Amino acid sequence: MSSLKAYIVTRTLMVIPTVLILLTLVFFIMRILPGDPISAMVGQKVPAEVLERMREEAGLNKPLVIQYIDYLKGVFTGDLGNSMIWGRRPVMEEIMDRFPATLELTVFGFTISVLLGVLTGSIAAFRRGSKADTGMRIYSVVAYTLFIPWFGMLLQMFFGVYLKILPIGGRITPGLAPDHITGLYVLDSILTLNLESLKTSLLYLFLPSMTLGIVLSGAYTRILRNNLIDVLSQDFIVAYRARGVREWKVIKHAMKNAFIPVVTLMGLQFAILLAGAVLTESTFSWPGMGTFLLERIEYRDYNAVQGAIVFYAVFVALISLIVDVIYALLDPRIRY
Amino acid sequence: MAKHKVLIVGLLLLAVLFFGCAGEKQEAPKAEVKTITIGVTDKITELDPANAYDFYTWEVMNNIMGGLMRYKPGTTELEPFLAESYEVQDGGKVYIFHLRKDLKFADGTPCTAEDVVRSIKRVMELQGDPSWLVTEFVENVEAVDDYTVKFTLKEPISYFLALTATPPYFPVHPNYKPDAIDPDQTAGGVGPYKIASWVRDQELILETNENFFGEKPKVDRIVVKFYKDATTLRLALEKGEIDIAWRTLSPVDIQSLKGKEGLQVIEAPGGFIRYLVLNGNENTDYPTKDKLVRQAIAAAIDRQEIIDKVFMGTMEPLYSLVPNGMWSHIDAFKDKYGDGNIELAKQLLSQAGYSESNKLKLELWWTPTHYGDTEKDVAQILKAQLEKTGMIEVELKSAEWSTYTDYARKSAMMLSLFGWYPDYLDPDDYTAPFLKSTANNWLGYPYADEKMDKLIEEASKATSTQEREELYKQIQEKLAEDAPIIPLVQGKLTVVAKSNIQGITLDPTMIFRYYLLDIS
Repeated sequence: MSSLKAYIVTRTLMVIPTVLILLTLVFFIMRILPGDPISAMVGQKVPAEVLERMREEAGLNKPLVIQYIDYLKGVFTGDLGNSMIWGRRPVMEEIMDRFPATLELTVFGFTISVLLGVLTGSIAAFRRGSKADTGMRIYSVVAYTLFIPWFGMLLQMFFGVYLKILPIGGRITPGLAPDHITGLYVLDSILTLNLESLKTSLLYLFLPSMTLGIVLSGAYTRILRNNLIDVLSQDFIVAYRARGVREWKVIKHAMKNAFIPVVTLMGLQFAILLAGAVLTESTFSWPGMGTFLLERIEYRDYNAVQGAIVFYAVFVALISLIVDVIYALLDPRIRY
Repeated sequence: MAKHKVLIVGLLLLAVLFFGCAGEKQEAPKAEVKTITIGVTDKITELDPANAYDFYTWEVMNNIMGGLMRYKPGTTELEPFLAESYEVQDGGKVYIFHLRKDLKFADGTPCTAEDVVRSIKRVMELQGDPSWLVTEFVENVEAVDDYTVKFTLKEPISYFLALTATPPYFPVHPNYKPDAIDPDQTAGGVGPYKIASWVRDQELILETNENFFGEKPKVDRIVVKFYKDATTLRLALEKGEIDIAWRTLSPVDIQSLKGKEGLQVIEAPGGFIRYLVLNGNENTDYPTKDKLVRQAIAAAIDRQEIIDKVFMGTMEPLYSLVPNGMWSHIDAFKDKYGDGNIELAKQLLSQAGYSESNKLKLELWWTPTHYGDTEKDVAQILKAQLEKTGMIEVELKSAEWSTYTDYARKSAMMLSLFGWYPDYLDPDDYTAPFLKSTANNWLGYPYADEKMDKLIEEASKATSTQEREELYKQIQEKLAEDAPIIPLVQGKLTVVAKSNIQGITLDPTMIFRYYLLDIS
């Protein structure tokens, strides 16, 4: 396992330059674009001299390099700075207000996509050539091509407006938010044994996570089907079957082998998932990071955008790391 | 097949868990509490009147706080609110307000003249975004005694009472940080409601303020739910998730909700205006430097067509920067150019040296999200209207908001679409920021005219309404003549509510007063 340890350490250290490069790019691109947070926020009304004073207070009058060094110093001491608009709240506070919502949606969407993908992919592979296989293949193509806002709205109209059984938007019924522990409503409801909040938060989660889950499941269906078919035709499976090994054991071995590319995909999907979450969040008025980031880009809130991207980058890098470790554990041949 | 079965069972369990919950009725606790849920697509930016400077946050502040004066609901008439009466002295330079003696913050702490002074001085010291509404005008503010507040102004200002009805003048609870902006503070001020809870971007729950001096609201609890877009807001109303859909449904949605059973659509004129800036900056090579060109553009625009095709009747035509319904308003542009007057436009263009073979080339800028998703259509219709003259060619250009405001200040846009929400309801707020040479740099077109400056200056100081009215009429006529800005449309306010909701009162202040609502 020592090589695995070394691998983990190397991969962890690699996160630092990755984030640094990303941060530098975002820092300069944001500033090269015309416009700044101060004039975008106050729009037209504030007198020019006040605007100038506000720019100075925000440090925007300093040379770019000095601004960059100041910012890096902050980041390395764990301070992402303050938002430059609306209350100038610490960026970390702004992120922590919204990140749990995104994480909750992402975890549920991710779980649903993997479960649906594995289920449909396995059915297709084990019933290769049957109507079920055709059905699952069609499902995978359709799911993959669905446009989140459109599909989300269809679900809202059917389950919300027509059947009136699921909420249209938001995260929980007003007033029912559980006591804050992690910010993840489902988890907090369980931890505080608040059943009403648990029920409500699951209800609110259903449509957005289903939308995200279904759209992302298509890729798993396809990849698992193809890999399972491939594995099932390999010699060792044929040999198992020829020796009369029980079918469930055959499936177990086949699944384990076919799962390696699925795990890779899971890692890759996580970044896509976060992008998909932006669309899902805005369709379902989910108060998460996606819409926050879009809004702050529009207002050129430099610190908030940089902070959010650094945060995302570290998060995605950690997930990739976890996925790679699982990958290495699943396939002992893999060492770097 | 065992693995397969486990997966199926797992998925089924998940589905049962979700749908098991789905059958439950979603209802907030305390069902006996009279509650109204309002849906909006706006957001609260920060709950500190020293720094909040956006329309929706000011609306919330007007429900949890109040000023010395306020607009009488449903009108544009000012009346004393936290003050019982006021006196004007020293030729309009000194204002003395006598406070009510029963003022208390929501937690029962008394609110005295000291609190009013502390709050206003705090705004002046913190120098937040809207602080200019105080610092530009107020020299000093002091507490004469527990119930008397004295303002000494830098110079007499005829609309000072209107300023005292804006949030920077609202007294705030002593809990507000004295030396820093306090964006998450929920202690509020003296108002009919208090904040019971606020989850950023998600929900705001207001409850009746038991210590409020005035009539108690009829609804115990107001819940505001924040939606990301108009489509979700509309679906939430149709589903019954909210009782009232307030700002902002799309024109198409409003149209289709009209006449729908169980819903009422209430409309009223709003003070929000849209206009086109024509850059006449002498340092540029824009053809709009030529007054004849600007006048031709003013003549060619057909406002009714924009309203019919883009806004589906949710706006009204506007022929002056001073909105319809405000005292002194005249239809200056209509009187001078008519509406969609292509013949006159052609005539003016010919005088300016353009023809069908030598077309006037214009660049028209618009911004995609800041004014809603109808903006592109407005730009396209304007292009079509101008090109109808046969002598103009329009190129459409767009930039997102922060770039757009930057371009405006740098004078980089030839023609650009903008909108304006008032800070205080007075013709001054619709004229001085656009036309006064010392105040309009943000337009990128530093329109400067001595006569105009003089008229605006006089109008802001004149004490008689009659005199002011006469001056504002002259200002509007001069604006139409010079045409640096062309007013296009004025917003209507629209509320779509369930039919059991009463007390919806809309007026040009555009403040939705939750405390007037009732539910049957």
